[in-house]
Amino acid sequence: MTDAAPAIFVALEQSGFAAAVRQSPWLYPAANIGHIVSLVFFAGAVAIMDVRLLGGFAATAPGRLLARARIFAIVALAGMAVTGFMLFSAEASHLAVNPVFQLKAALFGAGVVNVALYEFLARREVDKLPPGAIMPARARAAGVLSLVIWVAVAACGRSIAYF
Amino acid sequence: MLRSVILSGAFALLTGVALAHHGWGSYDAAKPVTVTGPIVTSKFENPHATITVKGTDKVWTVTLAPTSRMTSRGATEKIIAVGQNVSAYGYPSTVEKDEMRAERITVDGKTYEMR
Repeated sequence: MTDAAPAIFVALEQSGFAAAVRQSPWLYPAANIGHIVSLVFFAGAVAIMDVRLLGGFAATAPGRLLARARIFAIVALAGMAVTGFMLFSAEASHLAVNPVFQLKAALFGAGVVNVALYEFLARREVDKLPPGAIMPARARAAGVLSLVIWVAVAACGRSIAYF
Repeated sequence: MLRSVILSGAFALLTGVALAHHGWGSYDAAKPVTVTGPIVTSKFENPHATITVKGTDKVWTVTLAPTSRMTSRGATEKIIAVGQNVSAYGYPSTVEKDEMRAERITVDGKTYEMR
């Protein structure tokens, strides 16, 4: 535990829940594995969505493909949130002040903003497009940003252990 | 969807507030140290077990291995219990004062690899 972290993270690390995660022989490794498995499904779903936004898989109407992939992405993200919270709470005070974790959190925020911008500015238009239609520039921009941001988030996640 | 987006954004902002630097990965393998003495505190916890050892110069925090690996190598909770005499060979942290990461530890004449 480090006192350099804001009190809320110190309290989280000292909570009974965090202690249980640390002291159980299997909870921490299970959360680790769950985080990676969720990541695989999340990355897969996101890649399908991004490729479609960039004009790939053009034989299917974008709205239908995106709707299916979105369900996988949301469920996988929920899995990452649950397992990520377990991993985070076990070492909360250290992670909160870890520069790579901070970068990951900031990039995650950027990824969420990108999703929100797409939802508000591009989704309505994209959902109406027929198969084979040229994708609007806003949709393609969201797709490129999404690919770059989420890959960077994953890279940061793995890098936390080395800083 | 929108609500979860906003909530996650708020969490990301919260977690981004902190300032100082601390981490796991920075250990100076060019300056190995051996810390020998009694174990003062012992945490048999994930992701790494940690002990503090009263060395000849100061009290060191010694970072060990994940508990499952410790157990499979025979370095159980009892082996690193408070009061045991330990000799830990490892590398000092370049970030955290008086912390080192053990490559191997010896207790009661038996050596346990941590990597």
